Amino acid sequence: MLTESARMNSAAEARFRIPAQPTGRNIKVIDLDTATAADVARLADDVPGADLVVMLISAGADADAAATIGRACSEHRVMTHAIVVRAGAVAEQDLSRTLAQLRPWSLMVVVAEGDDYVEDILRSFR
Amino acid sequence: MGRLFRSYWIPALLTEELPENDCPPVRVKLLSERLIAFRDSDGRYGLMDEFCAHRGVSLWFGRNEECGLRCPYHGWKYDVTGQCVDMPNEPEHSAFAKKVKLKSYPLVERGGVLWTYMGPPANQPPIPEYEFANVPSSHSFMSKRTQECNWLQAMEGGIDSSHVSFLHRGDLKTDPLFKGTRANQYNMKDLRPVFEVVESPGGLYIGARRNAENGQYYWRITQWVMPSFTMIPPRGGHPVHGHFWIPIDDENCWTWSYDYHPTRPLTDGEVAAMRDGKGIHVKYVPGTYRPLANKDNDYLMDRVAQREGRTYSGIEGFAMQDASLQESMGPIVDRTKETLVSTDSGIIMARQRLLRAVKALEQSGVVPPGVDLEHQRVRSASVLLPADQPFTDAAREALIAQPGVAPATV
Repeated sequence: MLTESARMNSAAEARFRIPAQPTGRNIKVIDLDTATAADVARLADDVPGADLVVMLISAGADADAAATIGRACSEHRVMTHAIVVRAGAVAEQDLSRTLAQLRPWSLMVVVAEGDDYVEDILRSFR
Repeated sequence: MGRLFRSYWIPALLTEELPENDCPPVRVKLLSERLIAFRDSDGRYGLMDEFCAHRGVSLWFGRNEECGLRCPYHGWKYDVTGQCVDMPNEPEHSAFAKKVKLKSYPLVERGGVLWTYMGPPANQPPIPEYEFANVPSSHSFMSKRTQECNWLQAMEGGIDSSHVSFLHRGDLKTDPLFKGTRANQYNMKDLRPVFEVVESPGGLYIGARRNAENGQYYWRITQWVMPSFTMIPPRGGHPVHGHFWIPIDDENCWTWSYDYHPTRPLTDGEVAAMRDGKGIHVKYVPGTYRPLANKDNDYLMDRVAQREGRTYSGIEGFAMQDASLQESMGPIVDRTKETLVSTDSGIIMARQRLLRAVKALEQSGVVPPGVDLEHQRVRSASVLLPADQPFTDAAREALIAQPGVAPATV
């Protein structure tokens, strides 16, 4: 006689899985390369209703705004995720500077060689 | 994805499975192909179609003798390349035998593993140079086990650092191959590591950082090299370990587990623990490579141990803690039912890396990452670094395999 695990791990039983329930996840995305002070302030105001804030930035760019966003997220217990796009021959010290600004305020950091991963990651968080 | 795997040398058998010349042949199923492996009278290894070209009899029944495998049904005999060398029911000296050849693949020994390459012969890459396979045999230990699910959901567990603090928390303190290191204090003090995923030439670096003293971070950096090799960061002076996941078919895979130390032999105690199923290894159903704890005994679930905190899931041991959950997802997990979060970014990027490599290979014949030997000469690392340093720079030397140099560990 099959154990319950043996029976339930089968492809036949997998057919009966319930479809995923929509979460209505509220994701805010901000491009720190182009965001103005007003954009940052607006995002900080929206943080209480958000589930995730994603900060996009190029390696070597100034990530000073991450502190403002990060403090708002920290206060409201909202997850922060930074994606650093390292295109071309960016010097290590430039990447280092950006990471130093982001790390205290990002609970997840991705360093990608191109921006094509950005859409993949955002699409995965439906 | 099958074509991607055929770009690489992949582990096929443990050397111990063909222990001597003319030993019994062994059935092997890889990438959904039924094959037979044997070692001939001169010590040459062969891996070929399992079934005799004549009437489709399994050559597992074959007689391994005089430099070939002879089918017992009508005596057709094949050498290690699959070439038919004798066809007794045809006239003597008939040329027809020369026209019969079973599909075959090269099989070479390195590091206690028999590796095969199942792609186009013209594209055959150099033999692998993962460090564990190139140290003296006294420095390494290899095991394999069947896992009853698709390879990818198993591999994703290997690059998902965020589950360790939950699923394996009991064993980090008790397993003889993990416990008692200075670094474990960082794990205890900071239960919420932050993850950083960075593209590497061969795949990804998956970094987990925790707060340490003097404004430093304690980093544990895992290597993932395509398509399915991982190396877990070391703990103290323990051997370094990691995995390959190799498809048997769409719903089953081999989980290969290695432990090695680059600069010293493994101790008798370490090897005994590995053989006893400690660390990332398992105890087996006798005479098989199937884990003793498996779906047919509900993985020897122990709810008392779970309640008392000795294990988090009620399942004993790192390996089956992972495999039991991964198998419960179904033979091929339906990823449309996932709810991914930020800490799954490593998995997301690995999926995309694989898909891109497949597309580039299919459309333009681009050799995928991980074939280049430079991509294989890597190490994982456990290091303390200043808070502002990218680990790819600050730990650059530590992430490369250097003969005679001890691993970077805390």
